[in-house]
Amino acid sequence: MKKCIWILAVQLLCGIQAFAQQTDAEKLFIKLRQKIDAIKDYEANVKMKIDIAYMRVPPLNGKLYFKAPDKMKLERNGGISILPKRSTNMALGNLMPNQSATVIDAGTETINGKQLRVIKVVPNTEQGDIVLTKIWIDEQRVLAMRTETTTRENGTIKMDLEFGKYEKQGLPDKVIFYIDTKEFKIPKGVTMDYDGATKADVEKAASKKPKKGRIQIEYMDYTINKGLPDAIFAENKK
Amino acid sequence: MLRLELYKIFKKPRTYISFGIVTAFALVIQLALVADGKNFIAFAMQGVSAQFDIGGNVLNGYLVTYIILQSLLLQIPLLIALVAGDVLAGEANMGTLRLLLTKPVSRSKIVLVKFTAAVCYALLLLLWLAVIALGLSILFFGTGDLVNMKSDAFVVLLKDDIMWRYIAAFMFAALAMTTVAALALLLSAFADNSIGPIMGTMGIIVVLMIFSTLDLPIFDVVKQYLFTTHMVGWKGFFDDPVPYDAIRFSAIVLVVYTILFVGATVFYFRKKDIKS
Repeated sequence: MKKCIWILAVQLLCGIQAFAQQTDAEKLFIKLRQKIDAIKDYEANVKMKIDIAYMRVPPLNGKLYFKAPDKMKLERNGGISILPKRSTNMALGNLMPNQSATVIDAGTETINGKQLRVIKVVPNTEQGDIVLTKIWIDEQRVLAMRTETTTRENGTIKMDLEFGKYEKQGLPDKVIFYIDTKEFKIPKGVTMDYDGATKADVEKAASKKPKKGRIQIEYMDYTINKGLPDAIFAENKK
Repeated sequence: MLRLELYKIFKKPRTYISFGIVTAFALVIQLALVADGKNFIAFAMQGVSAQFDIGGNVLNGYLVTYIILQSLLLQIPLLIALVAGDVLAGEANMGTLRLLLTKPVSRSKIVLVKFTAAVCYALLLLLWLAVIALGLSILFFGTGDLVNMKSDAFVVLLKDDIMWRYIAAFMFAALAMTTVAALALLLSAFADNSIGPIMGTMGIIVVLMIFSTLDLPIFDVVKQYLFTTHMVGWKGFFDDPVPYDAIRFSAIVLVVYTILFVGATVFYFRKKDIKS
């Protein structure tokens, strides 16, 4: 009988501890969410590097506009802008559930020599695109250093963030955004390509390219919460 | 003598047909793109726009010029053949060739001068194309970054990095058209009326172009030696990075073909029994 009581007591303690951890994780997530939600809009001068297997795009400099919750536009002084479909996914806030969600503590992990708290956030509704978000958080600074979001329609989106000048506002200096890329092929009879490179060169170059697409954005400066008008985002896409 | 040959070429109305065709073709494409360019671009870029939002002035003068040049890939050589195929055969047909050969000028020189005149015509046609295609397109559509859709790549070139590529591309195209003029001249030496060489040049270019563009392994060995494969070398300047080695090789192939065609023409014409 005594043995049973002991077992029950230990189980109860473990349960309480788990609950406490859950609460800490939830608190951390709420703090992070509040920090992110404080940014209503921003415009930032950015340098963008696109590293997608089938894309040969030089580094693009431009101005990135964001307005919460779902408006984003890259303006390049008359040049072409390229943003991933559903580009607002590049905003951290859109990679995390913003309604009621279950937050699970997944322990700690060390990334770049820094110990980070890992939490998993599962939305309580099935209506949104997000199925699960895993966030690596610097607990001291309350900053998301990495996110991995599994979506219903856009595969898994991974994002690494580096902070500097704007860490108080929770805005990164550099974001590396990983996306799943699809195959790109147009019949040669249509494009009438010039076979400049030999087949071996092409295969070699293709094998060097990462399977996942990688978009890197360096934010040079931010202008935050100035009340960007919606008209800025209304552009005819060609 | 060159002036006389140029005079002969430019006094014929058919010479100006080519300039008219190039103008009409470029204007038709430009007007079509003014009217329905957005749909065309959306269709062309559907492979990329499934994953990316492309914004800004995609349909700009540089892209329109590229579309025109791409569309005229087959037509320009045919227009060159229209004149170059006539330079020797046309004289034979009119019965003026014997008269021409009574002049104290070697047959080799006559062939070379006629070839030079045909090349001058080809260069003028290309220059006209540059003015009409590039000049008017920039006027109608403005400038911007150039999107080049390859079969396996989506290449973007920044607008400040494009004009030199067009200059280099037109220079390369001039070399390619010189080869076409040389081929037409060779066929012209064999015939006594200009229809044969013109049609012959067209036929050879169309057939070889099919070999060059069809992506079938069976043609892989042959097509690297066909001049039609290398005629599109101008497109290499719109790649990133520019495949200079391949362009150099293509240029060498075209020069070799030109020398062979002109050499064969001189060789044959010197021995030819002129009956008309």
